[in-house]
Amino acid sequence: MRALGRVLKLWGAQAGWLVLGVVVSLASLATGVALMAVSGGAVGAIVTGGALVGATLLLHLLGPARVVLRYLERLLTHDALFRALAGLRVWFFRGLALRSAGGLGFRHAGDVLSRLAGDVEALDGVYLRTLVPLAGAVMLLPVLAVAVGRADVRLAAVVVLLFAASAFVLPLRAARAAAAAGAGLATAAAGLRIACLDALTGLREVRAFGAEGRMLAAMQAREAALLAAQHALARRGAWAGAAAMLCAQAGLLAVLVAAGLHPAGAAAVLLLAVAAFEAVSLLPRAGVAVGSAAVAAQRVIEAAEGPVPVPDPAVPAPPPRGHGLRFEGLRFAWSPDSPVVFDGLTLEVPERGRVALLGPSGAGKSSLTALALKVATPQQGRVLLGGVDIATLPAAVVRARVGWLAQATHLFNDTIRANLLLARPDADEAALWDALRAAQIEDVVHGLPGALDAMVGEGGASLSGGQGRRLALARALLSPAPLLILDEPCAGFDAETERAFLATLNDVLGERAMLLIVHRLTGVERLDRIWRLSAGRAVAAAA
Amino acid sequence: MDATKQAARGWLGQQARTARRDARGVLVLALAATAAAIAQAWCAAAALTSALGRGGIAWQPLAAFAALAVVRAGLGVASERAAVAAGAAARRRLRTDALHRLLSAGPALLRERHSGELASIVVDRIEALDGFFGRYIPAAALAFAAPALVLAVVLWRDPVAAAIFAGAGLLVPFAMALAGLGAAAAARRQFEALARLQTRFLDRVRGIATIVMYGRAEDEAVALGQAATELRRRTMRVLRVAFLSSAALDLATALALILLALRGAAGRVPPGQALFELLLVPEFFAPLRTFALAYQDRLQAHGAAGPLASLPPPPPPAPALPVRTVAAHGVAVAFEDVRFTWDPARGPALDGLSFRVPAGETLVLAGPSGAGKTTVLEVLLGFVRPDAGRVTLNGADIITLVPQALARLTAWIGQQPVLFAGTIRDNIRFARPEASETELVEAVRFARVDGFAAALPRGLDTPVGEGGYGLSGGQAQRVAIARAFLKDAPLLLLDEPTAHLDPATEAEVLESLRRLTLGRTVILASHSAAAHAFGGRRLDLREGRAAPVRGVA
Repeated sequence: MRALGRVLKLWGAQAGWLVLGVVVSLASLATGVALMAVSGGAVGAIVTGGALVGATLLLHLLGPARVVLRYLERLLTHDALFRALAGLRVWFFRGLALRSAGGLGFRHAGDVLSRLAGDVEALDGVYLRTLVPLAGAVMLLPVLAVAVGRADVRLAAVVVLLFAASAFVLPLRAARAAAAAGAGLATAAAGLRIACLDALTGLREVRAFGAEGRMLAAMQAREAALLAAQHALARRGAWAGAAAMLCAQAGLLAVLVAAGLHPAGAAAVLLLAVAAFEAVSLLPRAGVAVGSAAVAAQRVIEAAEGPVPVPDPAVPAPPPRGHGLRFEGLRFAWSPDSPVVFDGLTLEVPERGRVALLGPSGAGKSSLTALALKVATPQQGRVLLGGVDIATLPAAVVRARVGWLAQATHLFNDTIRANLLLARPDADEAALWDALRAAQIEDVVHGLPGALDAMVGEGGASLSGGQGRRLALARALLSPAPLLILDEPCAGFDAETERAFLATLNDVLGERAMLLIVHRLTGVERLDRIWRLSAGRAVAAAA
Repeated sequence: MDATKQAARGWLGQQARTARRDARGVLVLALAATAAAIAQAWCAAAALTSALGRGGIAWQPLAAFAALAVVRAGLGVASERAAVAAGAAARRRLRTDALHRLLSAGPALLRERHSGELASIVVDRIEALDGFFGRYIPAAALAFAAPALVLAVVLWRDPVAAAIFAGAGLLVPFAMALAGLGAAAAARRQFEALARLQTRFLDRVRGIATIVMYGRAEDEAVALGQAATELRRRTMRVLRVAFLSSAALDLATALALILLALRGAAGRVPPGQALFELLLVPEFFAPLRTFALAYQDRLQAHGAAGPLASLPPPPPPAPALPVRTVAAHGVAVAFEDVRFTWDPARGPALDGLSFRVPAGETLVLAGPSGAGKTTVLEVLLGFVRPDAGRVTLNGADIITLVPQALARLTAWIGQQPVLFAGTIRDNIRFARPEASETELVEAVRFARVDGFAAALPRGLDTPVGEGGYGLSGGQAQRVAIARAFLKDAPLLLLDEPTAHLDPATEAEVLESLRRLTLGRTVILASHSAAAHAFGGRRLDLREGRAAPVRGVA
């Protein structure tokens, strides 16, 4: 719940709009309740043999006012909500970018990021579904107390207690229960996801070993666990709803009893109570959503406000002149309890040098990139850029000099132009085409409708795997960095394209230095030096 | 509208028909709850009239009111649980169906689609349908039935009031249709706007490492804020018009209330009846409100339906061919003029291929990638069926074998074995769950898994796969060899088993593989020079055909 409070504070910048939304919503609620009360009063007055003075006029005023205010309420609360959402997303993105480096893209799979984005979305409902009706409940409580209190103070106390239970206590309990169940639900959902991903990634194994039945049974067992967890939560929700409903009914019963003691205006009070209890009837259910949102808020805050893994030095050293990269006696593990990746690794990429690093998958090739880009820090040893320890340089300086083509570089759901400009915002049209030509994808882009302005689709979906990789390569080549780290640049290419690409790489790079990270060489690369990763060290291989 | 959208719509409609049958129980319970609410309104009106008229407390209607409240709460819980159960049943049904389709379509599917995408369809897309089955379908049924019940009760005593209810009720769909937008359109626009913002946000978060590495995080943060602001402006312009039709529901409610109150205040109906009618106004409009809220669930379902409708069709019923098994020892393999095409645009993968491998012998398939080596193995594994020609095992046509029989005959080691979430022991036992501990230990020793497992924190019980300890390529390949040994099948199919290994590890793995081939029929696809050491006959493939024989490797 504390994390949720932090999120509310973040909304502070939009406080004016959010409060305005609440105020109009209160006015709208007030007219709605008054409309019911006056209707009741007008009819009740007939029974007691009089007439409610000005009832007709009031009804004629309240009716249109209610419709107009409700319309304004919808507009203003949605406007405020959209403002708060925008603020929250920008805040989250900034925080994550500063820490992203905490291994995102290196260690965390994309689905962790998707889940985080989902957590941010889970916070969207808090304002509309919870804060606005809560404010309404706070306003209605004293109104109800005074209205029933005229007849009987004890009955008024009962009604107020029941109303408070329905509006505050039950929602809070529902939120607590949902927060407690949230972890179990997340585990159950993750279990199902892993079981399905396993069976589908391993479809070949499953078919080859005739394991379809076993895998289906395993997935169904996980699903049953998830459904059971959801069912338990839904049962709580149903009982919370029923309890809220019984509170409302008991409250109305108390009002009816009070009517017997004090008939004057009793019809108005009854309809007022009906409207008041209806206004808060959805709050216990909203409590369940708030409970899950609190869990989501916790994760969001941790991701966006946790410690910065590799902080920039307080007093940065002047940027180096040269850009030779040297790893010196590195010892590195991602965390104290995970396996040691490097143990005494020393490796050098001189200026304009062409160096290859070979090693099987899982040997820590991408960890080396993480260290070179200040995403992680070695436990021992240092990384030098142009002779300067990168620990004394700001990350931005290092990253401007060391370009990187990852094994799974993300293509944004945007135009080809926008994807390229990410690397060099001021690049002109000719530079873009040069980069595309160098990456051997110029013809493909020419053939697309709109050429540079063609959309690449989600994750580059409108391009083939090989084309997507080449576009990412063009982006890396466009960046002005004097040193490029290429991590398996040919993954997804067929053999012929791979050889053609590697053969031309030397010319394309020009003055740039290159660290080529691959699991094996094809023989067409032109290299100055070849290293092999073995037992956490770089061992010289044939030059 | 394009064909995929049409398919999605058709699929969702079909699901909705089944779901409506399942939702009948929910409907009956919810209607019973509405009936109880009507009776309660009558009790409250009676108690109030008596209090206003004669003074004092009318205990009888109040007692009935209290009893009905309990009944109504019980019915509410029951109908909600029925709705949740209906949603869960629908998801279970859909997921089993989807998994069945995917498992039947088999490994050939992975050529076109990514397993992560398929898993997300099976898990997240189906979860996203919960609201549609659990909330929207019952709410849609109730949105008509519950107001109709209220109307019928009012009509019985007071036809004029019934006309007011009916008129106000009809105003809702009428105003929506007149505005041409409707609450539906408002909800859709709002939903789409949010979805667009979320898609962009998700896209940028997924690619955050790329953004950070190019030093563009601040620019992107600003752009994200601007996109959100721009989207808000455009959305609010639309909502300003669209919310007008939501106002129709408020207008109808207020109108009904005012007309009924004025009629009561004018003394045209008995006051008790007038109070009863006023108390029914919230009951009459509540299902319409619930329906408007649940409309979002329908929109979400439309988004989820597309990918689900695109899953491969269910497998045809088992063929009526005489199903056979083959003697399990000493398998001879023959390809006779076999043709197969993955994608017509890229030409045939196998183009009239013929060869024979006598029982117990080894055949090395050589040739550049794309020559059809993997396709040969996938035909033998039953992943795909040949388009033409015959593939026989000991003379039996492969398409007449039941998949289980074929799976028993073959062991397969691919380029990068998949390790499932679980321990190393679980992963080896996967090959034959009923294997004894002694057999397992033998397989571990044979494949030299014990060599690296001893150094792991929990030995054979170290978790691997998703969320577990990452094994190197060579270690994973050893697990695959242990699987194949444990399975002990007479036909061993090896698909570039050392393609992702460095030369030192390759030599070690090949040594284990060589021992595994003893006494089995082996087909090895490889363009690695080291595979020459395997001996046996060599077949050069070029564009799906056997190239002229160049002798024994």
